[in-house]
Amino acid sequence: MHTNVGQAALVLLAGTASAQDATLPARETLLVRAEHVLVSPGRVLDGAQVLVRDGRIVAVGTDLEAPEGARVVEGRWVCAGFIDPWSALGVGGDALSEVNATAATRSIDGFDPFNLDHLRREALRAGVTSARVQLGPQARIGGQGAVVRLVPGLAPEEAIVSDASNLWMTAGLSLPSGQQFVETADGVQMVSGDRAQDPFDRAESVERIVAALQSGKNYLIAQNEHRHELEDWKKKVAEKDAELDKEFKKAKKDREKAQKEATEKDKKFEEKKFKDEKKPQAPRFDEDNEVIARAVDGRLPLFVGVERAAEIRSLLAGTESLGRVRLVIAGGSEAGFQASQLAERRIPVMVWPTPLGRSRPDELEAHDLSLAGRLASHGVTVLLGSGGRDPAATRDLPLLAGLAIAHGLSRDDAIEALTIGAARALDVADRIGTVEAGKDADLLVLDGPPLESTSTVRFTIASGRVVVTPEN
Amino acid sequence: MIHNLLAFAAAALPSVAPLAPAATRLASSDAPLAIRARSVWTGTKVLENAIVVVEDGRIRAVGTEVEIPDGAEVLEHEGVLTAGMIALHGTAGAVGETRDSTRPAMPEARMGIPVDGRSADFAPLWNAGITSLLVTPDSSGITSGTTALVRTADGKVLRDPAHLSLVFSNEGLSSNREPTSRSGALALLNELFKKSSGVVADAKSGKLTCLFEVRERDDVLRAIAFAKDRKLSGALHGAWLSGELSEPIRDSGLFVIVPALGVGTPKRALDAVVRLEKDGVVFGFGLDAPWNHPDLLRLSAALCVRAGLDSQAAWRGLTANAAKISGVEARIGRIERGLEADLVLWSGDPLDLATRAEVVITAGKALTVERPNQNGAKESK
Repeated sequence: MHTNVGQAALVLLAGTASAQDATLPARETLLVRAEHVLVSPGRVLDGAQVLVRDGRIVAVGTDLEAPEGARVVEGRWVCAGFIDPWSALGVGGDALSEVNATAATRSIDGFDPFNLDHLRREALRAGVTSARVQLGPQARIGGQGAVVRLVPGLAPEEAIVSDASNLWMTAGLSLPSGQQFVETADGVQMVSGDRAQDPFDRAESVERIVAALQSGKNYLIAQNEHRHELEDWKKKVAEKDAELDKEFKKAKKDREKAQKEATEKDKKFEEKKFKDEKKPQAPRFDEDNEVIARAVDGRLPLFVGVERAAEIRSLLAGTESLGRVRLVIAGGSEAGFQASQLAERRIPVMVWPTPLGRSRPDELEAHDLSLAGRLASHGVTVLLGSGGRDPAATRDLPLLAGLAIAHGLSRDDAIEALTIGAARALDVADRIGTVEAGKDADLLVLDGPPLESTSTVRFTIASGRVVVTPEN
Repeated sequence: MIHNLLAFAAAALPSVAPLAPAATRLASSDAPLAIRARSVWTGTKVLENAIVVVEDGRIRAVGTEVEIPDGAEVLEHEGVLTAGMIALHGTAGAVGETRDSTRPAMPEARMGIPVDGRSADFAPLWNAGITSLLVTPDSSGITSGTTALVRTADGKVLRDPAHLSLVFSNEGLSSNREPTSRSGALALLNELFKKSSGVVADAKSGKLTCLFEVRERDDVLRAIAFAKDRKLSGALHGAWLSGELSEPIRDSGLFVIVPALGVGTPKRALDAVVRLEKDGVVFGFGLDAPWNHPDLLRLSAALCVRAGLDSQAAWRGLTANAAKISGVEARIGRIERGLEADLVLWSGDPLDLATRAEVVITAGKALTVERPNQNGAKESK
């Protein structure tokens, strides 16, 4: 009875400590053993172990022993949890259809740790542990994306890997969303996707994007100028202060003398005034330009959804003078035409390798599964995403990566795209993406090589919690 | 000829760098062809490091201890040899010819007639390892005719008619001609089956199997009842959740054609396919070629495998069982002595989507599949 009360108190305590789901597995000290540990793309450690404590990877080696009380998890292969950099899972449907998003809007404000939890569980089972979600993906100048862990019910402080991973803009993701399944009370229906955007709209969109970036740049320049002016002003004020300080005694004497004279002559004493340095005025605060300026300055990656050659060309031309901007092309069906420039400017392309088919014959030529492989062969960094349209598609990202491999992408490049490549593009490479000490413990334990469609994920570990086991 | 075969043998080895830039069709040799693969999936079993001997377009021998006949060309391959895949529901080669929406019933319209063997629709199919396609009439009215099985490498019609298409779903209904309701459609079907000639008579006598177009689960139940009353055989196509009725379907003896499954298919639909297998229903997969991407066929099977379907069972759905559903199990669909040589050499496990078809042996020819760009130097980083 006593123990029961004690346990109840513990549960209660845990409950008050954070808002975690009661069904959520606890963080444990884990020793993960595998025949092969894929540390990072192309680097495999055979017969290795990974030690996990407090949600972090503490050590990776070939001679690690399980500390007392640690849970041992075993499998043939271990790799980092997959990241879907283009997902629709994690924010509510209202956030996805938001059309009034601006640069200052943050996807994380629409984060819903309970949203579509059956799809999250399926994604975790397939090995996708985190995803970039984007509110208002249709908005021309959209908001800031976020990287979140897909574990249902995880408290925000643990679920959020990055609350502002990128800025999003789009110049027409004009491909159809393809066929989508919709679950209804009667069963499962299929609906067809949306229509393409008008070509003039797309051209205008690129102009608006470039104009927005220019405006952000001007804002940044004005901010920098203001900072310098403010520094100058502060310096001048300080100089004056010093001068006054130095001449304090003389000034005091002069003042006393003047005061005395005034009393003697029965005149009004006038205090000598120093001319003030005028404090420079700050440029008008603009919440959108604040964010765009960070993107222009390279502090926030800029993702632009654009499919066609003409728009990609204009976008590349329009951003050439913005040397620090870290552009990522999303979609990029016709990016092959600019492959060498993309490689030279180190602009990654985030591809959606899905078999769309010919329901829209005019769109087929562009949307080809060989895109990822073709771009990679030209030295372009390729990311792979599930398209950001259908929350259910995140589960199938590893299968889509398989298709990209069949159509010419190397296995290493595909693994990189789903792990450290995505992490780097989203500025979270210090947290996730490889199996290295110091990183968050987002790990997969598989019965076969990662990204083989026939391999099964036996255990999924997310921030040190074993969220998928062969039994659950 | 020997030169050609050797060239394609070299091309078939995955490790060899410079490969055929485009699909090349190689003429068949009169000499027998012996294929040695790391793994041979016959459709009933998996043989490691086995040999298949092909002569005059037929399989002469299969096994691990097979003797290679004198003068045979030998093709060594590091991958997996299987029977060619059969996609069970599409219109490739006959686009625009599979629909006549003006009449409620066109039972005698044969899909084998309009199929254009030179159609550009076919190359993407055999390039993806799909060697046959069941060309089906659209679901218009109560019947739009009969299906035909077509070989994708040369457009040859292998079986025509293969099924009489009967529509039980609301797709056959129209607002401007009969039938306008499901009950009206059933009345017209009953009327149609009073006929005692042509394909209807063949269906009634069991000479011709039927393709029951269904969508909702109640369509499935009505189709089963209709088939039972008239002792019809055949396959149900189009219901995502037909597996939830696997017991009545198994008892009816009907087969199931699972429509192509896409990315993000709800788990419920995948679990339904797993149930079909568990309850012993013979099933295959549809592919709405040319509108669907050819890779959707293997993706459908791979999705089911990830949901718990046995991989060999999934593979039979793409080959041996699909042949059974098409009524050609005595000709193609398995690797067995006496059957036609209709084979695909894959770079690895064909249910791994990263695997690709490399050589297709069909219609008495060996066809090399166009290879996508490789990453070149990046491959070995």
